[in-house]
Amino acid sequence: MDKQVKHQKWSFLQTTVSLAAGILIFFPVLWLIMSSFKSSGELFSYPLSFFPEQFSLENYQNVIENGFFQYIYNSFFIAVVGTLITVVINSMCGYALAIYRKQLGYTGIVFGVFLLGTLIPSEALIISQFTVISFLGLYNSLLGVILPVVTTTTGIFMYRQFFIGIPDSFLEAARMDGASEFRIFMSIMIPLAKPTTITLIIFSFMWRWNDYILPLLVLSRQNRYTIQIAIRNYIGAWNTDWQSILAASVISIIPVAILYIFLQKYIVGTNVSSGNK
Amino acid sequence: MQEKQDNTKKRKQSKKFHYSFWLFILPCALLFLLFFIVPLALNFFYSFTDYDGFRQMNQIGFANYQELFQDREFYQTLRRTFIYTFISLPFKVILPLGLAVLMVSKVVRFKTLTRGLIYLPVLLSSLVVGLTMNWMFGEQYGLVNFLLEQLGFARVQWATNPFFTKMLIIIASTWASTGFYMLIYIGALSGIDEEIDEAALLDGATGWKKFFHITVPLIKPTTFLVSLLSIISLLKEYALIQGITQGGPGTSTTYIVQYILSEGFDKARYGYASAASVIVMIIFAAIAFVQFRFSRGGEVNG
Repeated sequence: MDKQVKHQKWSFLQTTVSLAAGILIFFPVLWLIMSSFKSSGELFSYPLSFFPEQFSLENYQNVIENGFFQYIYNSFFIAVVGTLITVVINSMCGYALAIYRKQLGYTGIVFGVFLLGTLIPSEALIISQFTVISFLGLYNSLLGVILPVVTTTTGIFMYRQFFIGIPDSFLEAARMDGASEFRIFMSIMIPLAKPTTITLIIFSFMWRWNDYILPLLVLSRQNRYTIQIAIRNYIGAWNTDWQSILAASVISIIPVAILYIFLQKYIVGTNVSSGNK
Repeated sequence: MQEKQDNTKKRKQSKKFHYSFWLFILPCALLFLLFFIVPLALNFFYSFTDYDGFRQMNQIGFANYQELFQDREFYQTLRRTFIYTFISLPFKVILPLGLAVLMVSKVVRFKTLTRGLIYLPVLLSSLVVGLTMNWMFGEQYGLVNFLLEQLGFARVQWATNPFFTKMLIIIASTWASTGFYMLIYIGALSGIDEEIDEAALLDGATGWKKFFHITVPLIKPTTFLVSLLSIISLLKEYALIQGITQGGPGTSTTYIVQYILSEGFDKARYGYASAASVIVMIIFAAIAFVQFRFSRGGEVNG
């Protein structure tokens, strides 16, 4: 009896601590959302209150009237096209590195070269990368922020790991049936790798949607801005347009949050650690 | 006769494998070559020139490196970046571990909800993370200062006092990564054998004692991984700071990536910035080497 009471107390205490931590960590986002519905008068006057006194869409109207749809479109284009290319070419690459590793002696070396990509962060290469992008005529082009980043070590690594786990007999049976190498890949292997693909889709979409440095340098024309760059431009040297920042930031969170909520159950636990590109 | 036929068949198949392999990896390899290997080579090349990103490009030998080694600003920025990294590191590791322990505890309720709440900031871009925290900790109309004032304390100079500004950046960075590292720790903690748990209980190890003497040593590889990922991301912190201070007040929160970008693009000194990049690359290569030595090539994957 006594033990049970102690157990309950312990459970209550731990639950309280963890919930409190959860709410504390979530709170800044909630505060951001609440603030985005406050009018300018209310944002900058004491005392502050949690709920908007008057629920106002003023900030959202403001950003949308100032070309925000174009930025949303650009961000979507970059994230969707970038993710599509990433999934297609990384699955091909990871697959080949996995299944030919016994027949061809040099796949290990090729894989090693790709791993170099994790060794050096793109931030350290940004200057020369930028000159390459300009040289190719991709300055101010959405492709200029897509193509440099679609070969991801994480993606290649994840697919390679997955396909190494597929038994050889599987492959040989398909070859016996006379299916071409590409047919086998497309109609048998890719469907098998669905969990890996979904994990990569989530990560890739998030990386591209939230990308900052590359779009900042490559996209200088206003009609090419992504949401992130538009938000950056609300920060002025003397004056920061907080009303627009609040609304735009809330909008910027929505797509990633939706994607995450719908697809999170597919994320394979063991791959979590590779999420940090 | 039969053997000969087999051989030709084998050779034919092997040729097919070579051919297929290169076709499969071609798109990745081509883009990797174009946007990684070529820039890597170019970066070394630029570091020996006075390239301004426009038209001037003369070979100047090691002059950039000589200047770099005498540049006090470069040293200070590097030092600042390292200090920032090592002060932030414990928070980045301990907080997720603590939360993960709660998240695998059998007596804790509402775990799915709590985990979702803690994970949410991970989905935000670094810029928005910085701005969200900036908004919370605003000097004039921030909620934190408002609450402090209500409780009878003085307002804190989150934007103008370098000490508090640095503190705010550490809070922001920790806030953004905690959910992610917590997930890695949850993976590791749920992998601990129940038998070990029970054996520990039989030996009378409970609570804190069990945690420090059994759990912590068992998840050492995960702690190593989390520390490494943290160090790497802290050293290249940039977008988050753009949302808070843009490097100020003064240069008190200007870290190495911002230094490279401002030398390269604001001052149009591609050559000089490339030399600085080479130094940064060497630092990261050293970290990768340490990782490789200790993890024997990815064994630590949580």
